[in-house]
Amino acid sequence: MDTESLIENVLNALTAGVTIGCIYGLMCIGLGLIFGIMKVVNFAQGELLMLGMFASLYLVTGGGILAFLGPNIGPFVGAILAGPIVFVVGALLHKFLISRVSGLKTAGSIDDGHFGQLIVTLGISLILQNGGMIVFGSTPFTVQTPLSSSAIEVAVGYGDATVFLNKAKLIACAVAIAVAIALYLTMEFTRIGKALRAAADNPTAATYMGIDVDKYYRMAFGMGCGITAIAGGLMATYLSFGPFVGFDYVIIMYSGVVLGGIGSIMGAFWGGLTVGFVQQFSALLLPPQLQNAMIFIVFLLIVLLRPQGLFGRSAERA
Amino acid sequence: MLEVSNLSVSYGGLRALTDVSLSVAEGQFVTVVGPNGAGKTTLFKTISGVVKPTGGKIVFMGTDLATISAAQRAHLGIAHVPEGRQVFKTLTVRENLEMGAYPETGRAKWTHTIDRIHTLFPILAERAQQLAGTLSGGEQQMVAIGRGLACAPRLLMLDEPSMGLAPAVTDTIFERISQIHKEDGVTILLVEQRVAEALELSDHGYVLETGHVVLDGPYETLLADDRVRKSYLGLT
Repeated sequence: MDTESLIENVLNALTAGVTIGCIYGLMCIGLGLIFGIMKVVNFAQGELLMLGMFASLYLVTGGGILAFLGPNIGPFVGAILAGPIVFVVGALLHKFLISRVSGLKTAGSIDDGHFGQLIVTLGISLILQNGGMIVFGSTPFTVQTPLSSSAIEVAVGYGDATVFLNKAKLIACAVAIAVAIALYLTMEFTRIGKALRAAADNPTAATYMGIDVDKYYRMAFGMGCGITAIAGGLMATYLSFGPFVGFDYVIIMYSGVVLGGIGSIMGAFWGGLTVGFVQQFSALLLPPQLQNAMIFIVFLLIVLLRPQGLFGRSAERA
Repeated sequence: MLEVSNLSVSYGGLRALTDVSLSVAEGQFVTVVGPNGAGKTTLFKTISGVVKPTGGKIVFMGTDLATISAAQRAHLGIAHVPEGRQVFKTLTVRENLEMGAYPETGRAKWTHTIDRIHTLFPILAERAQQLAGTLSGGEQQMVAIGRGLACAPRLLMLDEPSMGLAPAVTDTIFERISQIHKEDGVTILLVEQRVAEALELSDHGYVLETGHVVLDGPYETLLADDRVRKSYLGLT
């Protein structure tokens, strides 16, 4: 490889890593929020990503109510609106299923409800996958936008080296960053965000403050599902998907959340970004089939060297 | 104001409280003393609603507490400063106090109460932006009490505020509790193992042993009781 194409490849991997990484980051925040606040292990998170993709698809394509926005704007508005739709799905799942195996109900029991959560969320995952198969069928879908096949070309200034910025991914990345910032501001500065953090920190004490912990957990679960769904809607603009797409990504989400430091909601974003980065860079050296293996090599390295995650606190003062 | 009658609580077949009756009048300072495992913390948790009673009744300002959820009770003006402080470690001191002011009344009086809290505990103003988990035990207790005050409570329940604190810090804490009672007119229900100091502050005391109220009366009566003098005050 000559220098010129090396520079070009590295820079392209870099930009692809950042754009895809930011979308992964948003996806991980959804899972991180659920685990960070409720300590619920949600194996159905990948299927909520899938639901986000299909929600966006049905909003945008065919006779969808957003069809009037056209193929350039519609898919991104659809992705954002997938958030509130899947929020409702998540809140209902919590009300009828998750709340029975989590929260104050299981606090202090031997496993804190984790076994129950594992089985319930795996069950939800299977039902959604196979239910999706019945409802949507198995042909791969995409949310068509001409932007996914057009790129901004930036000359690097070294020979003919050029960086290609895919327009769809670029907009998706910008939306992902905006949603992540909005969530950060909500968690940090609003009364709801502080109450969510208080309910996560010490649910019993939060109850003493008059905070309805169960209600806030339901909100957290809905938000976590909705945020992952937005990431799903964004990915749907450049990726073909089917009812089983969630499985590939739930692994990426868990790696991102663990890398970022379990319990750190914004850390999950950086974890997801790291995963996206590693995945894109490994494409320079390895065949595509090994990209996910590379993620786990880096994952294991980080877990070995920094077991608390990149952004987790190693210990707290009692 | 608070009327606990014939309250019984069991944990999986184990009796924690049996037929406990207790009453706190508006403006009173009431102390519950007793050895470890007597059921003092259980009594508080039952009043706050995180533990369900097996029998009996708790009425606060005319409301039967069995009819409302645990979270709703803070909105009636019951503040619970729990045993072992239980501050929100990952929130800043300021955010802890803001969470104390979560109920409507707390928010309405926020500018006034935050000033008052900072007057009582000036260190909390200094440490406002620090994470509560990084504070010393005494400072965390101040956060816990300040957080309780932030909802502008009618009844402040304090569960062993002296636990694990240096004697000098304990003195400060007791002094502040007395100030909150006298100057702010907040009704106080206190659980303490430091019996002498606690009874000295209070109008009325209850002695709780293995889930039963074995004795109650005004400060003078308790102090004159031989058992109290022997077992709790170390006097003969």
